[in-house]
Amino acid sequence: MVGIAQLQHRWTAALACLLASTCAARADWPTTRPTTSHWAFVAPQRPAVPALKDGGWSRNPIDYFVLDRLQSQGLSPSPEAPKATLLRRVSLDLIGLQPTPAELDAFLNDASADAYEKVVDRLLASPHYGERWGKHWLDAARYGDSNGYSIDGARSMWRYRDWVIDAINRDMPFDEFTIEQIAGDMLPNATLEQKIATGFHRNTQINQEGGIDEEQFRVEAIVDRVNTTGSVFLGLTIGCAQCHNHKFDPIAQADFYRFFAFFNSCDEPELKTPVGDQLKRESEIRYQYATLEMEKQEFEHRIAEKAAAWESTLTGAEKATLGENVRAVLSVAGDSRTKAQRDTIISAFRAASPEIRERDRKLAALKKDQAGAVTRTLVLQERREPRQTHVFIKGDFTRHGDPVTPAVPAILPQIDAPNPTRLDLARWLVDPRNPLTARVTVNRVWQHYFGLGVVETENDFGTQGSGPSNPKLLDWLATELVNRRWSRKAIHRLIVTSATYRQSSIARPQLADVDPYNRLLARQSRVRLDAEIVRDVGLQASGLLCDTVGGPSVFPSQPDGVMGLGQFKREWKTSAGPDQYRRGMYTFLWRSTPHPLLTAFDATNATASCTRRLRSNTPLQALILLNDQACLEFARAMASRVLHEAPPDDSARVDYAFRLAVTRLPEPAEKTFLLQLLNKQLNSTPQSLKKEDQSLAAWTIVARVILNLDEAITRE
Amino acid sequence: MYDDQANLRDITRRHLFGRCAIGLGSIALASLLNESAHAAEKRDMAHPLSPRPGHFPARAKNVIHLFMAGGPSQLEMFDYKPKLIELNGEQIPESFIKGKRFAFMSSFAGKERPRLLGSRRKFSRHGQSGAWVSEMMPHTAGIVDDISIVRSAATDVFNHAPAKLFMNTGSTQFGRPSMGAWVTYGIGSESRDLPGFVVLQSGPRGPRGGAVNWASGMLPSSYQGVPLRSVGDPIVDLKTPAGISELQQRDTLDAVGEMNLKRFVETGDPEIATRIAAYEMAYRMQSSAPELIDISGESKQTLKLYGAEPGKPSFANNCLLARRLVERGVRFVQLYHTDWDSHGGPGQNLEGDFEKVCRETDQAAAALVTDLKQRGLLDDTVVVWGGEFGRTPMGENRTTTGRNHHIDAFTVWMAGGGIRGGQVVGATDDFGFAPVQDRMHVHDLHATLLHQLGLDHKRLTFKFQGRDFRLTDVSGKVIGKLLA
Repeated sequence: MVGIAQLQHRWTAALACLLASTCAARADWPTTRPTTSHWAFVAPQRPAVPALKDGGWSRNPIDYFVLDRLQSQGLSPSPEAPKATLLRRVSLDLIGLQPTPAELDAFLNDASADAYEKVVDRLLASPHYGERWGKHWLDAARYGDSNGYSIDGARSMWRYRDWVIDAINRDMPFDEFTIEQIAGDMLPNATLEQKIATGFHRNTQINQEGGIDEEQFRVEAIVDRVNTTGSVFLGLTIGCAQCHNHKFDPIAQADFYRFFAFFNSCDEPELKTPVGDQLKRESEIRYQYATLEMEKQEFEHRIAEKAAAWESTLTGAEKATLGENVRAVLSVAGDSRTKAQRDTIISAFRAASPEIRERDRKLAALKKDQAGAVTRTLVLQERREPRQTHVFIKGDFTRHGDPVTPAVPAILPQIDAPNPTRLDLARWLVDPRNPLTARVTVNRVWQHYFGLGVVETENDFGTQGSGPSNPKLLDWLATELVNRRWSRKAIHRLIVTSATYRQSSIARPQLADVDPYNRLLARQSRVRLDAEIVRDVGLQASGLLCDTVGGPSVFPSQPDGVMGLGQFKREWKTSAGPDQYRRGMYTFLWRSTPHPLLTAFDATNATASCTRRLRSNTPLQALILLNDQACLEFARAMASRVLHEAPPDDSARVDYAFRLAVTRLPEPAEKTFLLQLLNKQLNSTPQSLKKEDQSLAAWTIVARVILNLDEAITRE
Repeated sequence: MYDDQANLRDITRRHLFGRCAIGLGSIALASLLNESAHAAEKRDMAHPLSPRPGHFPARAKNVIHLFMAGGPSQLEMFDYKPKLIELNGEQIPESFIKGKRFAFMSSFAGKERPRLLGSRRKFSRHGQSGAWVSEMMPHTAGIVDDISIVRSAATDVFNHAPAKLFMNTGSTQFGRPSMGAWVTYGIGSESRDLPGFVVLQSGPRGPRGGAVNWASGMLPSSYQGVPLRSVGDPIVDLKTPAGISELQQRDTLDAVGEMNLKRFVETGDPEIATRIAAYEMAYRMQSSAPELIDISGESKQTLKLYGAEPGKPSFANNCLLARRLVERGVRFVQLYHTDWDSHGGPGQNLEGDFEKVCRETDQAAAALVTDLKQRGLLDDTVVVWGGEFGRTPMGENRTTTGRNHHIDAFTVWMAGGGIRGGQVVGATDDFGFAPVQDRMHVHDLHATLLHQLGLDHKRLTFKFQGRDFRLTDVSGKVIGKLLA
């Protein structure tokens, strides 16, 4: 047992804190501001870093801004988190993986002043950094592996996903990153990669249902593109102006359709994106096909001759199996047959010839192979002749109002070009004069590190949004992003090396009254891991993880029956070999029947852009972590790993198991508790089992308990 | 109601003061927790699904929605049109279809005007109310005095997936919460051992669009529908996995609970208390859900009433399960049955295929109303029967003649929970093309349902991207005629 007295002692403080937070009123929901001077529509000015007495706490400018705000409320920051906590936090945040026991030891033993900064640099250089931050972006990009709507057929889109991972790993500046995704196809001499990037806006759903009006769904996809561009880059709810003028923000309905016009002149083709020797393979298939096709033509040229030869070999029994009409023609002498009669014989010959059938089968198979020989991906491609865009009256695409030309919302600085195109739009999005994009972008980065953005309503910087909790900090970060040539790695490094980030996440009673939601950041926040990372923790602790980066999406095991929930009962064929242990982000995302672990832990189903996941905490999550076959497999593999890799005594094994799943040593009370659990299991396993099996069974329960801890799936 | 996300976090925080102490009896926290619950807030908002009062006294507690997926033909069942039968084969007057859009538009674009198709089904009047019901629905005909037949339902969109989304969320845009999510967000659920919003399905395939139909949209996923499956575990991963004994399962839960509690006390993070409660509810579900789906203990008479057979998944079994769910306090139950898509042609003809799906549903749907009534549950439960749209009065020529999707008028029936029985509401023109009286748009249906549950559809809102979203978007009215 954990010491009860000890628990109760600490409880008093925790209770006081919780009571206070519960009673706290919603203090600071903002009131509507006048629109013309709305802060977010005015470009950020670089604020001066506050001069403060900080007792040596601050590590970089971020800390001065945060401390300034804290001091104005009479608050002080929290102490730095323990080293082990800090290491697990920064690893999960930057690469979505836990530190290994060896990495933990190395860090704990590194007494140098810059030990932590060295870890940060190692993580930023890891290929898994692109996976973690790529996944955040892919949520916003509504990336999925199927077409959505009702039929929800599979699509090949992973080349776009890999483009994102790669671009982020290379620290492609965010301005280029934006331009290539919005209009890569329109760049001069666009490369294949730049075209692949336009897949950003091909992640819209495709309705394959029968009986649809194609134009309706083409328009719906464009509406999605407008809304997504608005919320991802501008943090604006432009979509609210689809049917009428925006109720709160200065966006007219015509603004919506002017923006729509940028996206109304694209075609939506599939692009061949060869991987490895696919092109060679494709040309081989093409050659085989052509050879066979030539043979076929030669054969066809002499078909009459061949048919006659066939006829001459027919036995009486064979003739009897032929159709009545054929038998009738056979009785007519060869040279007195009509054309129709000759054709009848040829048809009969075709049907009877194994040679012809075999060749046709081969040709069909080759054709299919050829179609699938090269990986394809969905892209945008600008049309030569633009389409005319109209306002749709009340948002109804069948009711055309006034014609409009492409333009950005009137409230924002305008594009400096006579007939702006999608490429001009892309460049405008990342023009430093644009007041929104840099702010919105750094704010999203910030939200992943602290659970909340500086602007909590990260997709609404309009007048109904929450406003920044620390305006100067936001503007300093936004200008810093631009000054650092839009390098996201630079911003990540700045944030994670700040004293603000490195604080402990333990709640403090005195903060509960003033800042129940931790907007002021007098401490860090505990944040439950994203669905994919919940899986990765299990994979990693068990040692099963296959950490290959990129490639086609995979099919890890999932409970039976999940695929029957959509219109078509599609097959879910569990991937073979290491692919079934790939990171959660590579799980094939069927939009209408997503993997249950993803759904239960709030992953997006990719039907719309998701710029912030809500975090629920439900019994369905508990059922999965407790009972899912995959989770049990993780526990068993982890138990086996502990038995093989740890020094052979139970105390050392508990230490090792704890480090594998939560990156720290258990406290004495925790260790005692787990050892008691272990002994209880050892005593209750059937004595008929072999000793190793008893031991494995008991350790499986211990591993299962540790993997089910709130701490295991939480970044503290 | 809870009009912003900050408030939701309050709810999360308050989890602590509700049920999380259950199962941790060994630790003397329970009484502390209870005391603090009083101190903190009179209203029990401890659990995201804990029952909460609505805006005004409710007439009904629960909803069972029988979603007839694919669009049932009202003209073969409820909307009797002698004139249409008389003019069978004539072209529909231009005035009806001018400017209208239909599914499969290209199939009659540039072709001759479509021809009227009279139903071949016999209709007669039933019950004290004398409602017209066809021979296709003999059992439903037997309960007409308990139901309100609405012949004037209307929707906005004519393809299956968007129309299903619209019927469920009041929007054709993805990312909005479904009815069941709104309801459980608004008033929680009485059940402590089962999810508050449960989805069942039967028929040859799942509903088009799948999980988006019961998604929680921008609401927290605590409110999303939980599919109760007829094959395998009723809920994903409900069963303790093979190789883990019941004792080991309990040991695991206890150990996880204790260690989480320790961490909770150390960190002061109320999310951990919520997780402790979630694990305990998961454990209760492990026994409550199998008990729920085991219908073998129902009397022979009851099984016969529904046409249910233990172990053989069917719409009938699901109707019986729906009763068992509301009996156990589950707030919102949705049953999907496919496939009502009667275009004509193989698998979709208006003859055998249509008769089959009528047979699969008629008896059990009627039995559900009868059974609920016998048990005194009908007063508290609104039953809704209907599809995402109806069918055209004009024939659609495929290999056989069927009917196309139709959004202007279709039939929905409702019963129980303060809905007036024994009446027909709304009427359509001579061809059954459009309502001429008491049109009930999907938004109106939603407004009425929420009203019966004590919720004002204009006040049940959720703030997202700066806007107060609601199930009825910017319209919807309660249909007074439907109310008892």
